[in-house]
Amino acid sequence: MQDFFAIQYCWLIPLLPLIGAAVSGFFGARWLKEKSHWPIWIGVGISAIFSIALLVRMMFATPGADGTIQFSHHVYWWIVAGQFKADVGYFFDPLTAVMLCVVCGIGFFICVYSAGYMAGETGYFRFFAYMGLFIFSMTNLVMGSNLIMLYLGWEGVGLCSYLLIGYYYEKPSAREAAKKAFLVNRIGDFGFGLGIMLVFKAFGTIHFYSDSATGVAGVLDLARVAIAHPATHPYQIAALHWIPFLLMLGAFGKSAQFPLYVWLPDAMEGPTPVSALIHAATMVTAGVYMIARCSELFVTNHAAMLTVALIGAFTAIFAATIALRQFDLKKVFAYSTISQLGYMFVGVGLFAPVPAVFHLVTHAFFKALLFLSCGVVMHAMLGHLDMRKMSGLKRVLPWTNWLILAGCLALAGFPLTSGFFSKDEIVDQAHIFNLLIYIAVLAAAFMTAYYTFRLYFRVFQGPLVVPTEPAEAPAHAAADEHGADSGHSSAMDLHGGHDSHHGAEHHNHEPAIMIVPLIVLAIGAIFAGYLNWPAANLGHFLGHSPSFKYGYEMAVNSGVKVEAATFGQVEPAAAGAAAPLIPMSLWIGGAVSVAGILLAAFLHLLDRGLAAELADRMAPVVRVLDAKFWVDEVYQAYIVEPLRTFGQICFAFDRFIIDGLVALVGAIPSITGFIPKTTVQRGYLQGYGAAMVTGMAAVLLFIFSQAILAVVLIGVTSVLLTISIFMNWA
Amino acid sequence: MTETQLQFYLAVGAIMFSIGLIGFIVRRNLIVMFLCTELMIQGCAINLIAFSRYHANLAGQAFVMFALVIAAAEASLALGLVILLFREKNTLDADAWREMRG
Repeated sequence: MQDFFAIQYCWLIPLLPLIGAAVSGFFGARWLKEKSHWPIWIGVGISAIFSIALLVRMMFATPGADGTIQFSHHVYWWIVAGQFKADVGYFFDPLTAVMLCVVCGIGFFICVYSAGYMAGETGYFRFFAYMGLFIFSMTNLVMGSNLIMLYLGWEGVGLCSYLLIGYYYEKPSAREAAKKAFLVNRIGDFGFGLGIMLVFKAFGTIHFYSDSATGVAGVLDLARVAIAHPATHPYQIAALHWIPFLLMLGAFGKSAQFPLYVWLPDAMEGPTPVSALIHAATMVTAGVYMIARCSELFVTNHAAMLTVALIGAFTAIFAATIALRQFDLKKVFAYSTISQLGYMFVGVGLFAPVPAVFHLVTHAFFKALLFLSCGVVMHAMLGHLDMRKMSGLKRVLPWTNWLILAGCLALAGFPLTSGFFSKDEIVDQAHIFNLLIYIAVLAAAFMTAYYTFRLYFRVFQGPLVVPTEPAEAPAHAAADEHGADSGHSSAMDLHGGHDSHHGAEHHNHEPAIMIVPLIVLAIGAIFAGYLNWPAANLGHFLGHSPSFKYGYEMAVNSGVKVEAATFGQVEPAAAGAAAPLIPMSLWIGGAVSVAGILLAAFLHLLDRGLAAELADRMAPVVRVLDAKFWVDEVYQAYIVEPLRTFGQICFAFDRFIIDGLVALVGAIPSITGFIPKTTVQRGYLQGYGAAMVTGMAAVLLFIFSQAILAVVLIGVTSVLLTISIFMNWA
Repeated sequence: MTETQLQFYLAVGAIMFSIGLIGFIVRRNLIVMFLCTELMIQGCAINLIAFSRYHANLAGQAFVMFALVIAAAEASLALGLVILLFREKNTLDADAWREMRG
C-alpha cells in the first residue's frame, strides 16, 4: 500500500493546483491572458487523476489488523516548539479519499466550465489563480494529518472564498458580501481555534492518529483511551465536554449553519462557478468533514451531538422556508444549500456519518449542476437571475432544460435519483432518534421539493418570456456580462430567432465547454445514489476509516443504540437478510418529495395566478418570509451597530489620545530645534563659516591647555553672534 | 635657513591664511569666497614649504605638490558649481541661497 505511486507522491495533489495558481497568477496578466485556465486545468486534472487512483487503490486494499484502511505520509516538520509539534503530513483513509475525489473531480469539471463562463472577463487569470489556490487549500483541508493542517486549509479556503466573492470588486455589494463572509467566518473560526488549543492543552498533540513513523501520538487515539479509562484521565474527560462545542462553532461558520449562515446567500455575488464549487459543493461541506473526522471527540458527548443535530434540523427547515419566497435563481439555491447542509449536520449529529457523507457527495454533484445551469441561464438572459422576468426557457435552452431538470429531481429527492437515497437515509435516522427532528427534516424535504420545482416550472416551463434589456449596471449580475460582447448581441438574437424560427441565427447559448461538464455532473446527480444502494458499498468503504470504526465502537460503548450501517460497520447479525430493498422510510421521503413537486406543478405550471392568489391570502406569512425573518436586520441592529459604535469609540481614543501622545513626543525636537533655527542656523554662509572657525580655534586652545581662553572665545563669539542676529532682524 | 628666516615665512603664511579666513567670513560674493579659500590653502602650503626647507626634508614640498593638484581639481569643480548657482538665481550673492538652511 505504502509504495503505491499515488501515496508516495500524494503531496502532488495539493502542490499541482498551487503551482498552477502561481503560474496563472504571475504569468497570466501579461503572457497567458485568455489561456490562463490551462495551468489550472492541468494541475487540477492531474490531482483529480491522482485522487481517483487513490480511491480505486484504497477500495482494493486489505484492511489492517484493526479493520481500518489508513496510512500517513510525513513530508516535513513544519512547526516544532517544545511540546507542540505540527508537520506537513497527509493522512489517508476512505473518508479522505472520497472527499478528495469530490474536491478534485467536481472541481476539475467546474474549472472546465469556468473557462467558458468567464471567457472575456477582465481579470480572467485572477479568477483561475484563485481557483487553483482554493483547490490547494481544500485538498490540504481534507488530507491534513493534524488539526493545524486542517486549520491551514480551513483558513485558506476562507481566504479564497473572500477573494472570489469579491471578484467583481468594482461592485460595492460584492465587496460588502466578501467582507461579510470573511467576518462571519471569523466568529466560527475563533471557536475552532480555541477548540484546537484546548485539544493541545488536554492531549498534548494535535495529530489525528498516532503515527509510528514520526512517533507522534494522535488525539483521536488518546480520546479513545481517555473515554475507556475515565478514572485515570480526569482532565481529558473534562476537556472533552468542551472541545466538541468549540469545534462545532467553526463548523457552523464554515458550513453556514444557523446562526452563522447569513454570509452564504450574500456570497452569491461571486461568479457562478465559484458559487458552485466553493459555496455549494466543497468548502461549505468542510464542517461536516471535520465533525466526521473528529468522530472520536464527538460521539461520546451526547449533548454536543444533539446540539449539532438540532442546529442542523432547525437550519434545514429555516433556510427551506426562506427559499420558498426567493425570486433570484442563485439565492434559491443558496438557501437550499444551507438547508441541505443542515441535513448533513442532522446526519453527523444523529450518529449517522455515512449518510451525511453520502449526502455530501450527492449534494456536491447536483448542487454544482444546478448552480452551473443557473450560470448558463444567466449568460443567456443578459445577466438576469430574477425568475419573474423569464419563463419557458426550455425552448431556447433545450440542453440546460434537461440538465437542470436532472439536478432539480435529485435535489427534490425524487425517487431513485441520488438525493432520494442520501437525503432519506438521514430522514430515516431522524425517525429512529428524535421525532421533532424527524418532522422538521420531513417538512424541509417537502419544501425543498416545492421550491426546487417552483423554480424549474417558472423558469423552464410555461410561455416563453425572456428579458430584452440587459440587467442594469448595479444589479446583481451586471458585471458578469462585463466585457462579454456576445452577451449583449445574444439578447436580440434570442428574440429574433424565436420569432422567425431561424435556428442558424441563434447565438449559441450552450457552448460545449459549458454543457459537457454539466452532462458529467448530471450523470452524477442521477446515479450517484447507487454508490450506496442497494449494496451500501460507499458505507462499507467508509467504514474502514478509523474515524468511523472507532466512532462506532465509542458510540456503542457510550450507551447509544447505533445502527452499525450508519457508521459503515457490518451488522453483528446477518446483514440485510430481512431488510426490504427500499425501506419504508425511503418511500415516505419519496412520497413527500412527489407531493412537493405536485404542489409546485399546481401552483406554478398549471395556474400561476393561483400562486399569486395564495400568496395574497397568506400575506403576513409571506411578509415574514420575504424579509427572511429579519435576521440580517436583527444582526445589523444588535450586533453590527453596537460594534460599530464601539469601534468608533476605540478609533477616537486612538486618534486623539494615543496619537496625541505620539504627536507630543514628536513635537519636542521641533520645539527645541526652534532655537538654533532662529539663531545660528539662518542660512548665512558667513555665519556658518565664523562658527566653524571659532569652534576650531576653541578646540585648538583646548588642546594647548588654554581651556579658559577657549571658553572665553566661545562666549564672546556667542554674544557677538546674538548681537548680529538682532541687528539683522532690524 | 635660520630660525629668523623661518619666522618670516611663517608670518607670511599666517597673514595669507588670516586674509583668506576674514575674506571668507565677511564677503558674500561666491567667487570671492572661493578665492579666499584658495588663499587659505596657499597660506598653509607656504607653511609646509618653509618647514620643509628649515628641516631640510623634501617630504613637505612633495606634500604641497599634492595639495596644489587637489586645489586645482577642487577649483574646477567649485567654479562649475558657482556657475550653476549663478544660472539658477542670476546673482553671486551667497545670501540668495538662504533657503538651504537646515
